[in-house]
Amino acid sequence: MSPNLKARSALAAATLLLTTPALAQEPQAGAPPAEAAQAHQPTITKPPELVQQVEAQYPPDALTQGLTASVRLIITIAEDGAVSDVQPTEAVGNGFDEAAIAAVRQFRFSPAEVDGVPAPVQVEYVYHFTLNAPPPPEGETPTEQEAPKATLTGQLISRGSRSRVAGATVRCGDDPEAPEATSDAEGRFTLEVPPGECAVRVVASGYQLYQTKELLKENETTEVNFYLAPSGGALETVVRSERPKKEVVRRTITREEAQKTPGTFGDPIRVIQALPGVARAPFISGELLVRGSNPGQTATMMDGVSIPILFHLLGGPSVVNAEFIDQLDFYPGGYGSQYGRAVGGVVEVGTRKGAADTLHGSVKVDVLDAGFFLEAPITDGISVAAAARRSYIDTLLPAFLPKDDGKTLSVVPKYWDYQLRVDFGAKRGAPSEADAGGARSSGYVMAFGSDDQLRVVSSGPKTERDLSLDTRTLFHRVKGDWTYRKGALTSVFTPYVGYDGVSFEFGTAKQDGVGYTVGAREVVGMELSSALTVRTGLDLVYEHQSYDVQFPAPEDFEYVAFPGAESVGELLVEKLALGAFDGALFLEADMKVGKFTFTPGVRGNLQLVGDTQNVALDPRLWVRFAATERTSLKGSLGLYSQPPESFRFISLPYGNPDLVYQRAFQSSLGVEHRFTDVLNVDVTGFFNRRFKNIALPGQLVEREGGGVVQLPYSNDGIGRAWGIELMAKKDRASATDKWSGWISYTFSRALDGRAGPKPDGGGGFGGGDFGGDSDATYGLSPWDQTHILTLVGSYILGSGWELGGRFRYTTGRPTTPLDHGYDVYRSDPNRYTPTFGPYASARASGFHQLDVRVDKNFQFQSWTLTAYLDVQNLYNAENAEFVFNDYRGRREYEIPGIPILPVVGLKGSF
Amino acid sequence: MKALLKCAGLLLTLGAVACVDPEDQPSKVHDFRVLGISTEKPELYASTCEQTPEALDQLADEITYRALLVDPAGEGRPIRYELWACADTADTTCSDETSRAKLAEGTTTAGELVLPIRPGAVRVGDDRLLLERVIEDDAYKGLGGIRMPLVLHVTAGDEEVYAQKLMVFWCPLVEGMKENVQPVLPGLRVDDVPWEDGALPELSGPGPFLMTSEDVSALEETYVVPGLRLNAVTLKEAWEISWHTTLGDFSPQVTGGADFGGQQGRHRTEWEPAEGATAQDVTFWAVVRDGRGGSSWLMRRAHWSP
Repeated sequence: MSPNLKARSALAAATLLLTTPALAQEPQAGAPPAEAAQAHQPTITKPPELVQQVEAQYPPDALTQGLTASVRLIITIAEDGAVSDVQPTEAVGNGFDEAAIAAVRQFRFSPAEVDGVPAPVQVEYVYHFTLNAPPPPEGETPTEQEAPKATLTGQLISRGSRSRVAGATVRCGDDPEAPEATSDAEGRFTLEVPPGECAVRVVASGYQLYQTKELLKENETTEVNFYLAPSGGALETVVRSERPKKEVVRRTITREEAQKTPGTFGDPIRVIQALPGVARAPFISGELLVRGSNPGQTATMMDGVSIPILFHLLGGPSVVNAEFIDQLDFYPGGYGSQYGRAVGGVVEVGTRKGAADTLHGSVKVDVLDAGFFLEAPITDGISVAAAARRSYIDTLLPAFLPKDDGKTLSVVPKYWDYQLRVDFGAKRGAPSEADAGGARSSGYVMAFGSDDQLRVVSSGPKTERDLSLDTRTLFHRVKGDWTYRKGALTSVFTPYVGYDGVSFEFGTAKQDGVGYTVGAREVVGMELSSALTVRTGLDLVYEHQSYDVQFPAPEDFEYVAFPGAESVGELLVEKLALGAFDGALFLEADMKVGKFTFTPGVRGNLQLVGDTQNVALDPRLWVRFAATERTSLKGSLGLYSQPPESFRFISLPYGNPDLVYQRAFQSSLGVEHRFTDVLNVDVTGFFNRRFKNIALPGQLVEREGGGVVQLPYSNDGIGRAWGIELMAKKDRASATDKWSGWISYTFSRALDGRAGPKPDGGGGFGGGDFGGDSDATYGLSPWDQTHILTLVGSYILGSGWELGGRFRYTTGRPTTPLDHGYDVYRSDPNRYTPTFGPYASARASGFHQLDVRVDKNFQFQSWTLTAYLDVQNLYNAENAEFVFNDYRGRREYEIPGIPILPVVGLKGSF
Repeated sequence: MKALLKCAGLLLTLGAVACVDPEDQPSKVHDFRVLGISTEKPELYASTCEQTPEALDQLADEITYRALLVDPAGEGRPIRYELWACADTADTTCSDETSRAKLAEGTTTAGELVLPIRPGAVRVGDDRLLLERVIEDDAYKGLGGIRMPLVLHVTAGDEEVYAQKLMVFWCPLVEGMKENVQPVLPGLRVDDVPWEDGALPELSGPGPFLMTSEDVSALEETYVVPGLRLNAVTLKEAWEISWHTTLGDFSPQVTGGADFGGQQGRHRTEWEPAEGATAQDVTFWAVVRDGRGGSSWLMRRAHWSP
């Protein structure tokens, strides 16, 4: 027996692991949303080819024992084709791993191209160590004759998801000299072999070795479908995104993480709360409290279009359906000039392009709602993806509501949402279309929207009062996206329109609001040289809002309230309308100087609302220093602006037309290090200062023409936050890697309040309701949490089982302690006024909670059923969400959070 | 949308608060308290807004100040009181010595404290009318009337309460204004049976017992106040009644009133005796407020047995 080793199927059989490339003119780096969305699914226009192969040394001991092996490797190929890293996905031992790695490190590839540009990629490579049969005895010569042939043809299909498996090798037996075929993009293959029994072996990246036997007859074609089982129990090949980071901090959440992080109910937005820099919101609220900012100060966008309402009714699921997302990018601060309209962070939801191979879909059912997702190619180059969801709490709730003669209680909450995306242009995995001039275009049209309705009626002689509440919040957005590339020029044009409807009826109070939105974003990028890239663009939006309102004259707006029982005011009927424009022009450049990359930028903002004209200029700079291939230092500073919402500009006393941009200064400094391709650590410190933020109410002022008015809003809000964030993340190296997860820790201090005195009429959220008779208007933010620790882990148990856990610890939020010495009773409102100690000088108890999730996949030939159990607060910790006082202000009570809460769900996908 | 979010937040908060049941409740009267304060008249009304001698005299009229002091565990102990008038409505203890005047002081026992006072004639500092100081401190420039805090400081044993009542002075700033009429409950009912003053109905069992007020809708006044834009705003009273007892508690503890949608509550509540209590005479109070300074109360007794 002589040793013979064969590095077979080097790249012909290796499937690209869809590593996203680094492109100099590639748009997604620090990307404007439209470009970023494009970047989520880069197209490999030229695969790497092995140009220099080095044979491995067969391990002597293994040779002696007659052992064979296949070593599966992840090879990172640099832009120039050199091998920059080699990692085995699973050790096989007996010296095979070391031998294979040593050989592969000497390989040389032709540079791969993504979207026509040389780019680093990763490939999975299987190095086979096999032993040849002994040579025939001397004197025997093989007879030269034309061998009879049989044909085996068919299609390779992923078991459970029906995805077509491309790039797999198909052969009969394990003879290294045997002919083999490679499946195409449709998973099809044709193999010509000698007739007889064929011990079929199919090797595909991300799939288990497939073996079967087929009896092939001479001169006949046998057609088959082989269903390959994904390795590691995953439904999809592991996707690793390695976009270059120019932002100081960008955290990326994949679809799988968004769906499977325990304790989040599979809600993508709530997963963001498990990232550094985000304070814990009370209960199961999904509010994003980023680096000391207040709710509403972090922008959330879907492919670059602002999402008007983030969550369904009463803190329900977010309107972003996890099935429809490709990934989420979260920027806690220091983001580029193309982003605006936020003084906190930015969340960019990238949506999913429809499948290019065949029809796929899923149906999901849980205790709150049910939904579906479908994706399919329509024709060559056009694909569609659609998702919709509808709650059914309204049908279940009546069974749980109390029934009593003389009392009628009806609660009808309903919500639904949808997303639809149609892509035009290059088919996934295929070269992009190119016209005669070398230009390439692609694009898509997307629509999304949601509707929330809540009707509550309580009536009957035994009720304390008849109550009627009817609300509806509806929105639709339709956007287009056209990406044009020619040479070093990239242009992304994103127009969009929207409709918003809000109705509210509570007793005799009614409000019907309608809003129309039209906007567009244009981003042009030009790579002037390898060291200089310039981006510029416009970001424009116009809103027209109108309201028909009818309500009893409200106290303190129309007349001076007397403390106590509110009288019923005369009915006021008003029609309000206003148009609001907000536009921005931005310019930024990436300048590479040695190991430094400087990105200076500026964003000019203009807001026009009625007679109000506001201007804000936001210069920004961030710097990255690539100390080594794996270590980077980074820093940023800049100004950020957020326009007040349009409705705040309606005329006095319900709005304040004199509002200006909310502003913030953000700075950060950090270091990141890649220990391996799948293990990253990032440490970043930050200092933010917010000013001219919206605070409510404003001061009491005299009106022109007589009378007084309390401004409902002012720009008196200020805040300050500093801290340090740590993120250590372990991704799955391959489909067979069982562990993934991250550690997130934030140490921070956040201050919030208002500049100037406490207004007559009290404080309010954002302006600091500073409690009692204290004159303090500035202090610890109500959301300040000194320590925020989150541990997230997921482990694939095998046989379709997956176990995940999330543990959280946060410092309790600030409270103002009671300092009771005597009762202070106000007879008119029949209320006691507590006497407080120093503002925010105490804290609620710390919060700690463990959430666990178990998934079980049942994989059938054409579809997969997934059942999951998501348990919040597994050990039923009694955490304090709020601290309330008793009615006389003598004792404090901690309001407990969510107790143990199990949620089950089912998902079928095909 | 904002209203919706507020409702959602309110529901969550109320749901959370419902999980906590503090022992001390407004309707459970087990220690020393002031349950209500009333002035007769409920407001002093000048016939003109000009500073004429006649108008000043009208505003300086004598009124009767009443405070409902309860001390069920005090066994008739003495209650020391001081009554102050001051200028700043936010000064809930009348602590600013430069703008306060003592109207009365003495010792009393639980029950109604009745004092004749003339707050409109009180002078402070350099012999200025306290009313003028109140106007100076008023950010609303008198558009809500002149609201003079009257603060009763009462001490019973080691229990100490500062109880503030706003005395309202008005003049006809806009057309249609008229003097407030004191709200008075026409009567109470227990389990739908009229409950007369001095009666001692027998109540037995764990309850709950339905307690209601006689219909007050005809007594709730429609009135006019100056608007913040100097216009006339028409309002209608929506009385609130707070319910108190020496045994058990009420649910709800306050009835009536109106929400911002104008939906008014019924004056209907349920009294539930405390678990494990023995048979006893129980005292009940219903304190009514009209939302513009007027207030009065009724006291009833019943004998309850398990």
